[in-house]
Amino acid sequence: MRNKIILSSAFTLSFVIFLGACGNEANVKYQRYYADGSQVYKIYCENCHMSKGEGLADLIPALTDTTFLRENRAKLPCFVNNGLKDSIQINGKIYQSLMPAEKNLAAIDVAKVLTYVTNSFGNNQGIYDVKEVENQLNQCN
Amino acid sequence: MEYLKFPMLMMLISGFMACKSGSSSKSLPILGSREPITKVVNGKTEVDTVYQTIPRFSFMDQDSVIINNDSLNNKIYVADFFFTTCPSICPIMSKHMLEIYNKYKGNPEVAILSHTIDPKHDTIPVLKKYAEKLGVKDNQWHFLLGAQDTVYQLAKEGYMSFAAQDSTVPGGITHSGYFILVDSKKHIRGAYDGTDDEQVHQLMKDMDVLLAEEKNLKNEK
Ligand code: HEC
Repeated sequence: MRNKIILSSAFTLSFVIFLGACGNEANVKYQRYYADGSQVYKIYCENCHMSKGEGLADLIPALTDTTFLRENRAKLPCFVNNGLKDSIQINGKIYQSLMPAEKNLAAIDVAKVLTYVTNSFGNNQGIYDVKEVENQLNQCN
Repeated sequence: MEYLKFPMLMMLISGFMACKSGSSSKSLPILGSREPITKVVNGKTEVDTVYQTIPRFSFMDQDSVIINNDSLNNKIYVADFFFTTCPSICPIMSKHMLEIYNKYKGNPEVAILSHTIDPKHDTIPVLKKYAEKLGVKDNQWHFLLGAQDTVYQLAKEGYMSFAAQDSTVPGGITHSGYFILVDSKKHIRGAYDGTDDEQVHQLMKDMDVLLAEEKNLKNEK
Protein backbone atom coordinates (compact mmCIF):
# COMPACT_ATOMS: atom_id res chain seq x y z
CA MET A 1 0.00 0.00 0.00
CA ARG A 2 2.73 2.40 0.99
CA ASN A 3 4.60 1.67 -2.20
CA LYS A 4 1.51 2.37 -4.16
CA ILE A 5 1.16 5.78 -2.61
CA ILE A 6 4.77 6.65 -3.28
CA LEU A 7 4.45 5.41 -6.81
CA SER A 8 1.30 7.28 -7.60
CA SER A 9 2.51 10.46 -6.00
CA ALA A 10 5.75 10.20 -7.92
CA PHE A 11 3.69 9.74 -11.03
CA THR A 12 1.50 12.74 -10.29
CA LEU A 13 4.51 14.84 -9.47
CA SER A 14 6.26 14.03 -12.71
CA PHE A 15 3.05 14.73 -14.55
CA VAL A 16 2.80 18.13 -12.94
CA ILE A 17 6.43 18.90 -13.80
CA PHE A 18 5.77 17.75 -17.34
CA LEU A 19 2.70 20.01 -17.59
CA GLY A 20 4.61 22.83 -16.01
CA ALA A 21 7.44 22.55 -18.51
CA CYS A 22 5.03 22.44 -21.41
CA GLY A 23 3.00 25.28 -20.13
CA ASN A 24 6.06 27.44 -19.67
CA GLU A 25 6.51 28.82 -23.14
CA ALA A 26 9.41 31.06 -22.20
CA ASN A 27 11.29 28.08 -20.92
CA VAL A 28 10.66 26.10 -24.08
CA LYS A 29 11.89 29.02 -26.14
CA TYR A 30 14.99 29.29 -23.98
CA GLN A 31 15.69 25.55 -24.35
CA ARG A 32 15.34 25.79 -28.12
CA TYR A 33 17.60 28.86 -28.35
CA TYR A 34 20.17 27.16 -26.15
CA ALA A 35 20.16 23.88 -28.08
CA ASP A 36 20.32 25.56 -31.50
CA GLY A 37 22.88 27.99 -30.15
CA SER A 38 25.23 25.19 -29.22
CA GLN A 39 25.18 24.10 -32.87
CA VAL A 40 25.89 27.63 -34.10
CA TYR A 41 28.70 27.82 -31.58
CA LYS A 42 30.26 24.60 -32.89
CA ILE A 43 30.31 25.92 -36.42
CA TYR A 44 31.23 29.57 -35.93
CA CYS A 45 32.99 29.97 -32.61
CA GLU A 46 34.40 26.74 -31.23
CA ASN A 47 37.46 26.73 -33.50
CA CYS A 48 38.75 29.71 -31.60
CA HIS A 49 37.00 29.87 -28.27
CA MET A 50 37.19 26.07 -27.81
CA SER A 51 34.60 23.59 -26.60
CA LYS A 52 34.57 24.72 -22.99
CA GLY A 53 34.86 28.40 -23.86
CA GLU A 54 38.39 28.38 -22.51
CA GLY A 55 39.98 30.24 -25.41
CA LEU A 56 43.66 29.86 -26.27
CA ALA A 57 46.38 31.13 -23.94
CA ASP A 58 46.89 34.89 -24.43
CA LEU A 59 45.79 34.74 -28.06
CA ILE A 60 42.05 34.17 -27.82
CA PRO A 61 40.03 35.22 -24.78
CA ALA A 62 37.91 32.79 -22.81
CA LEU A 63 34.15 33.31 -22.69
CA THR A 64 34.07 32.69 -18.97
CA ASP A 65 34.30 36.26 -17.69
CA THR A 66 30.69 36.68 -16.60
CA THR A 67 31.19 40.26 -15.46
CA PHE A 68 32.64 41.26 -18.81
CA LEU A 69 29.80 39.56 -20.66
CA ARG A 70 27.19 41.21 -18.48
CA GLU A 71 28.69 44.66 -18.69
CA ASN A 72 29.11 44.38 -22.44
CA ARG A 73 25.86 42.56 -23.07
CA ALA A 74 24.57 45.25 -25.42
CA LYS A 75 27.71 45.10 -27.55
CA LEU A 76 27.86 41.32 -28.01
CA PRO A 77 25.75 41.18 -31.20
CA CYS A 78 28.02 43.78 -32.82
CA PHE A 79 31.11 41.81 -31.72
CA VAL A 80 29.77 38.80 -33.59
CA ASN A 81 28.51 40.68 -36.66
CA ASN A 82 31.41 43.08 -37.13
CA GLY A 83 34.20 41.11 -35.55
CA LEU A 84 36.85 42.63 -33.31
CA LYS A 85 40.23 44.05 -34.10
CA ASP A 86 41.23 46.54 -31.45
CA SER A 87 42.69 45.37 -28.22
CA ILE A 88 40.30 44.22 -25.56
CA GLN A 89 40.85 43.56 -21.87
CA ILE A 90 39.31 40.46 -20.32
CA ASN A 91 40.11 39.09 -16.91
CA GLY A 92 42.98 41.50 -16.60
CA LYS A 93 44.66 40.27 -19.79
CA ILE A 94 44.96 42.30 -22.96
CA TYR A 95 44.12 40.60 -26.24
CA GLN A 96 45.07 42.04 -29.61
CA SER A 97 44.07 39.40 -32.08
CA LEU A 98 41.41 39.41 -34.74
CA MET A 99 37.94 38.03 -34.45
CA PRO A 100 36.36 37.65 -37.89
CA ALA A 101 33.08 39.39 -38.75
CA GLU A 102 30.11 37.10 -39.32
CA LYS A 103 28.05 39.47 -41.42
CA ASN A 104 25.92 36.70 -42.81
CA LEU A 105 24.78 35.25 -39.54
CA ALA A 106 21.05 35.99 -39.18
CA ALA A 107 19.88 37.89 -36.10
CA ILE A 108 18.08 34.80 -34.84
CA ASP A 109 21.29 32.76 -34.99
CA VAL A 110 23.20 35.52 -33.23
CA ALA A 111 20.51 35.48 -30.54
CA LYS A 112 20.79 31.72 -30.20
CA VAL A 113 24.55 31.61 -30.03
CA LEU A 114 24.64 34.45 -27.50
CA THR A 115 22.03 32.65 -25.43
CA TYR A 116 24.29 29.62 -25.50
CA VAL A 117 27.44 31.56 -24.63
CA THR A 118 25.91 33.64 -21.84
CA ASN A 119 24.47 30.49 -20.24
CA SER A 120 27.42 28.13 -20.60
CA PHE A 121 30.98 28.01 -19.30
CA GLY A 122 29.82 29.14 -15.86
CA ASN A 123 27.63 31.98 -17.16
CA ASN A 124 23.97 32.12 -16.28
CA GLN A 125 22.29 35.16 -17.78
CA GLY A 126 19.05 33.92 -19.32
CA ILE A 127 17.78 34.20 -22.86
CA TYR A 128 19.22 36.68 -25.36
CA ASP A 129 16.11 37.43 -27.37
CA VAL A 130 16.17 37.99 -31.12
CA LYS A 131 14.40 41.36 -30.64
CA GLU A 132 17.19 42.49 -28.35
CA VAL A 133 19.75 41.39 -30.95
CA GLU A 134 17.99 43.22 -33.79
CA ASN A 135 17.76 46.31 -31.68
CA GLN A 136 21.48 46.25 -30.84
CA LEU A 137 22.55 45.45 -34.38
CA ASN A 138 20.85 48.64 -35.58
CA GLN A 139 23.09 50.60 -33.27
CA CYS A 140 26.48 49.06 -34.13
CA ASN A 141 29.07 51.57 -35.16
CA MET B 1 17.59 6.19 -21.10
CA GLU B 2 18.15 2.82 -19.51
CA TYR B 3 18.21 0.98 -22.82
CA LEU B 4 20.99 3.27 -24.01
CA LYS B 5 23.33 2.25 -21.26
CA PHE B 6 24.40 -1.06 -22.67
CA PRO B 7 25.37 0.10 -26.17
CA MET B 8 27.15 3.07 -24.61
CA LEU B 9 29.13 0.75 -22.39
CA MET B 10 30.02 -1.43 -25.34
CA MET B 11 31.20 1.60 -27.25
CA LEU B 12 33.32 2.66 -24.33
CA ILE B 13 34.86 -0.76 -24.00
CA SER B 14 35.62 -1.11 -27.68
CA GLY B 15 37.04 2.40 -27.57
CA PHE B 16 39.40 1.33 -24.83
CA MET B 17 40.39 -1.78 -26.71
CA ALA B 18 41.10 0.23 -29.83
CA CYS B 19 43.37 2.49 -27.82
CA LYS B 20 45.11 -0.40 -26.22
CA SER B 21 45.91 -2.22 -29.41
CA GLY B 22 47.26 1.06 -30.79
CA SER B 23 49.70 1.68 -28.01
CA SER B 24 50.86 -1.84 -27.42
CA SER B 25 52.38 -2.10 -30.87
CA LYS B 26 55.97 -1.55 -29.84
CA SER B 27 57.36 -0.10 -33.01
CA LEU B 28 56.02 2.50 -35.39
CA PRO B 29 55.95 2.04 -39.16
CA ILE B 30 58.09 4.14 -41.46
CA LEU B 31 55.86 6.08 -43.82
CA GLY B 32 56.58 7.41 -47.28
CA SER B 33 58.21 5.84 -50.30
CA ARG B 34 61.00 3.29 -50.07
CA GLU B 35 63.52 1.96 -52.56
CA PRO B 36 65.33 -1.32 -52.56
CA ILE B 37 69.06 -0.78 -53.02
CA THR B 38 71.26 -3.68 -54.01
CA LYS B 39 74.82 -3.59 -52.91
CA VAL B 40 77.62 -6.07 -52.73
CA VAL B 41 78.97 -6.82 -49.29
CA ASN B 42 81.83 -9.34 -48.91
CA GLY B 43 81.12 -10.72 -52.36
CA LYS B 44 77.46 -11.29 -51.57
CA THR B 45 74.63 -9.26 -53.05
CA GLU B 46 72.40 -7.78 -50.40
CA VAL B 47 69.19 -5.87 -50.75
CA ASP B 48 68.75 -2.96 -48.45
CA THR B 49 65.72 -0.73 -48.16
CA VAL B 50 66.23 2.99 -48.27
CA TYR B 51 63.41 4.93 -46.72
CA GLN B 52 62.41 8.36 -47.76
CA THR B 53 63.66 11.14 -45.52
CA ILE B 54 62.64 14.76 -45.04
CA PRO B 55 64.57 16.81 -47.63
CA ARG B 56 67.16 19.29 -46.38
CA PHE B 57 65.76 22.63 -45.31
CA SER B 58 66.87 25.78 -43.59
CA PHE B 59 64.48 28.29 -42.08
CA MET B 60 64.54 31.06 -39.52
CA ASP B 61 62.60 30.80 -36.29
CA GLN B 62 60.92 33.39 -34.05
CA ASP B 63 64.26 34.18 -32.40
CA SER B 64 65.97 34.66 -35.78
CA VAL B 65 67.85 31.40 -35.26
CA ILE B 66 68.46 29.25 -38.33
CA ILE B 67 66.87 25.84 -37.97
CA ASN B 68 67.93 23.16 -40.41
CA ASN B 69 68.26 19.40 -40.55
CA ASP B 70 71.44 19.50 -38.48
CA SER B 71 69.89 21.48 -35.64
CA LEU B 72 67.53 18.55 -35.22
CA ASN B 73 70.12 15.81 -35.03
CA ASN B 74 69.47 13.41 -32.16
CA LYS B 75 65.94 14.73 -31.78
CA ILE B 76 62.53 13.48 -32.72
CA TYR B 77 60.13 16.22 -33.74
CA VAL B 78 56.56 17.01 -34.60
CA ALA B 79 55.89 19.33 -37.56
CA ASP B 80 52.80 21.15 -38.70
CA PHE B 81 51.78 23.95 -41.05
CA PHE B 82 49.78 26.97 -39.94
CA PHE B 83 49.48 30.73 -40.15
CA THR B 84 48.93 33.15 -37.31
CA THR B 85 45.76 34.75 -38.68
CA CYS B 86 44.08 31.50 -39.66
CA PRO B 87 40.51 31.57 -38.35
CA SER B 88 39.61 27.96 -39.00
CA ILE B 89 41.56 24.97 -37.72
CA CYS B 90 44.78 26.60 -36.51
CA PRO B 91 43.69 27.64 -33.01
CA ILE B 92 42.65 24.06 -32.25
CA MET B 93 45.91 22.78 -33.69
CA SER B 94 47.84 25.27 -31.57
CA LYS B 95 45.91 24.19 -28.51
CA HIS B 96 46.80 20.55 -29.17
CA MET B 97 50.41 21.35 -30.00
CA LEU B 98 50.56 23.27 -26.73
CA GLU B 99 49.52 20.07 -24.91
CA ILE B 100 52.38 18.23 -26.61
CA TYR B 101 54.77 21.07 -25.82
CA ASN B 102 53.77 21.08 -22.17
CA LYS B 103 54.18 17.33 -21.90
CA TYR B 104 57.72 17.29 -23.35
CA LYS B 105 58.86 20.67 -22.11
CA GLY B 106 62.54 20.59 -21.23
CA ASN B 107 63.16 17.26 -22.97
CA PRO B 108 66.19 17.91 -25.22
CA GLU B 109 65.22 14.97 -27.45
CA VAL B 110 61.94 16.51 -28.55
CA ALA B 111 61.37 19.52 -30.80
CA ILE B 112 58.33 21.06 -32.45
CA LEU B 113 58.34 22.85 -35.80
CA SER B 114 55.42 24.99 -36.93
CA HIS B 115 55.88 26.24 -40.48
CA THR B 116 53.93 29.32 -41.43
CA ILE B 117 52.38 29.16 -44.88
CA ASP B 118 51.77 32.93 -44.90
CA PRO B 119 55.30 34.41 -44.86
CA LYS B 120 54.03 37.78 -46.11
CA HIS B 121 52.13 38.43 -42.91
CA ASP B 122 53.94 36.16 -40.48
CA THR B 123 57.26 37.97 -40.20
CA ILE B 124 59.73 37.14 -37.42
CA PRO B 125 58.26 39.70 -34.98
CA VAL B 126 54.74 38.42 -35.69
CA LEU B 127 55.84 34.84 -35.06
CA LYS B 128 57.68 35.92 -31.93
CA LYS B 129 54.59 37.59 -30.56
CA TYR B 130 52.42 34.60 -31.44
CA ALA B 131 54.83 32.27 -29.63
CA GLU B 132 54.92 34.49 -26.57
CA LYS B 133 51.17 34.82 -26.42
CA LEU B 134 50.92 31.03 -26.59
CA GLY B 135 53.30 30.86 -23.65
CA VAL B 136 56.30 29.53 -25.56
CA LYS B 137 59.39 31.28 -24.29
CA ASP B 138 62.14 28.68 -24.70
CA ASN B 139 63.70 27.31 -27.87
CA GLN B 140 62.01 23.94 -28.09
CA TRP B 141 59.08 24.97 -30.29
CA HIS B 142 60.21 26.74 -33.45
CA PHE B 143 57.85 28.88 -35.49
CA LEU B 144 59.52 28.87 -38.87
CA LEU B 145 59.58 31.44 -41.61
CA GLY B 146 60.55 30.48 -45.15
CA ALA B 147 59.68 31.48 -48.70
CA GLN B 148 56.22 30.25 -49.56
CA ASP B 149 57.35 28.12 -52.51
CA THR B 150 60.04 26.45 -50.45
CA VAL B 151 57.64 25.65 -47.64
CA TYR B 152 55.01 24.27 -50.02
CA GLN B 153 57.62 22.17 -51.74
CA LEU B 154 58.90 20.81 -48.44
CA ALA B 155 55.35 19.95 -47.48
CA LYS B 156 54.59 18.25 -50.74
CA GLU B 157 57.81 16.35 -51.25
CA GLY B 158 58.66 15.80 -47.63
CA TYR B 159 56.07 15.79 -44.92
CA MET B 160 52.93 15.12 -46.92
CA SER B 161 54.33 12.84 -49.58
CA PHE B 162 52.56 9.90 -48.03
CA ALA B 163 49.22 11.61 -48.64
CA ALA B 164 47.57 11.19 -52.00
CA GLN B 165 48.34 14.13 -54.25
CA ASP B 166 44.70 14.40 -55.26
CA SER B 167 43.78 14.90 -51.63
CA THR B 168 40.49 16.74 -51.39
CA VAL B 169 41.11 18.32 -48.01
CA PRO B 170 39.98 21.96 -48.15
CA GLY B 171 42.95 24.27 -48.39
CA GLY B 172 45.05 21.48 -49.87
CA ILE B 173 47.31 19.06 -48.08
CA THR B 174 49.51 21.84 -46.76
CA HIS B 175 46.62 23.09 -44.74
CA SER B 176 45.16 19.75 -43.81
CA GLY B 177 45.87 19.98 -40.10
CA TYR B 178 48.34 17.10 -40.02
CA PHE B 179 50.84 16.69 -37.21
CA ILE B 180 53.79 14.75 -38.63
CA LEU B 181 56.05 12.74 -36.37
CA VAL B 182 59.67 12.50 -37.56
CA ASP B 183 62.45 10.44 -36.03
CA SER B 184 66.10 11.41 -35.59
CA LYS B 185 66.96 9.94 -38.99
CA LYS B 186 64.32 12.17 -40.58
CA HIS B 187 61.98 9.31 -41.37
CA ILE B 188 58.26 9.97 -41.14
CA ARG B 189 56.89 7.74 -38.39
CA GLY B 190 53.31 8.91 -38.14
CA ALA B 191 50.70 11.41 -39.32
CA TYR B 192 47.85 12.55 -37.11
CA ASP B 193 44.87 14.85 -37.44
CA GLY B 194 45.96 17.82 -35.33
CA THR B 195 42.36 18.92 -34.83
CA ASP B 196 41.29 15.63 -33.23
CA ASP B 197 41.71 15.07 -29.49
CA GLU B 198 42.07 11.32 -29.73
CA GLN B 199 44.60 11.34 -32.56
CA VAL B 200 46.70 13.88 -30.70
CA HIS B 201 46.69 11.62 -27.66
CA GLN B 202 47.72 8.71 -29.85
CA LEU B 203 50.54 10.89 -31.18
CA MET B 204 51.82 11.48 -27.65
CA LYS B 205 51.74 7.75 -26.95
CA ASP B 206 53.60 7.12 -30.20
CA MET B 207 56.17 9.74 -29.25
CA ASP B 208 56.88 7.76 -26.10
CA VAL B 209 57.29 4.60 -28.16
CA LEU B 210 59.61 6.41 -30.54
CA LEU B 211 61.66 7.92 -27.72
CA ALA B 212 62.15 4.44 -26.28
CA GLU B 213 63.24 3.17 -29.68
CA GLU B 214 65.74 6.01 -30.07
CA LYS B 215 67.13 5.28 -26.64
CA ASN B 216 67.64 1.61 -27.52
CA LEU B 217 69.41 2.59 -30.73
CA LYS B 218 71.79 4.83 -28.81
CA ASN B 219 72.52 2.09 -26.30
CA GLU B 220 73.31 -0.37 -29.05
CA LYS B 221 75.95 1.91 -30.49
C1 HEC C 1 39.13 33.34 -35.56
C2 HEC C 1 38.92 33.16 -34.17
C3 HEC C 1 37.57 33.56 -33.54
C4 HEC C 1 36.32 33.13 -33.88
C5 HEC C 1 35.93 32.15 -34.96
C6 HEC C 1 35.42 33.76 -32.94
N1 HEC C 1 36.11 34.56 -32.09
FE1 HEC C 1 35.34 35.66 -30.55
N2 HEC C 1 37.16 36.47 -30.23
C7 HEC C 1 38.32 36.13 -30.89
C8 HEC C 1 39.38 37.02 -30.46
C9 HEC C 1 40.83 36.96 -30.95
C10 HEC C 1 38.82 37.93 -29.55
C11 HEC C 1 39.53 39.09 -28.89
C12 HEC C 1 39.50 40.24 -29.88
C13 HEC C 1 40.50 41.32 -29.63
O1 HEC C 1 41.63 41.02 -29.25
O2 HEC C 1 40.16 42.49 -29.91
C14 HEC C 1 37.41 37.52 -29.40
C15 HEC C 1 36.51 38.13 -28.52
C16 HEC C 1 35.22 37.69 -28.29
C17 HEC C 1 34.32 38.20 -27.28
C18 HEC C 1 34.62 39.29 -26.26
C19 HEC C 1 35.64 38.87 -25.28
C20 HEC C 1 35.23 37.74 -24.38
O3 HEC C 1 36.04 36.80 -24.24
O4 HEC C 1 34.15 37.75 -23.81
C21 HEC C 1 33.16 37.52 -27.38
C22 HEC C 1 31.91 37.67 -26.53
C23 HEC C 1 33.31 36.59 -28.49
N3 HEC C 1 34.58 36.72 -29.01
C24 HEC C 1 32.33 35.74 -28.92
C25 HEC C 1 32.42 34.99 -30.07
C26 HEC C 1 31.32 34.25 -30.65
C27 HEC C 1 29.92 34.17 -30.06
C28 HEC C 1 31.80 33.66 -31.77
C29 HEC C 1 31.01 32.81 -32.77
C30 HEC C 1 29.91 33.46 -33.42
C31 HEC C 1 33.21 34.01 -31.90
N4 HEC C 1 33.53 34.82 -30.85
C32 HEC C 1 34.04 33.56 -32.92
C33 HEC C 1 38.48 35.12 -31.81
C34 HEC C 1 37.44 34.47 -32.43
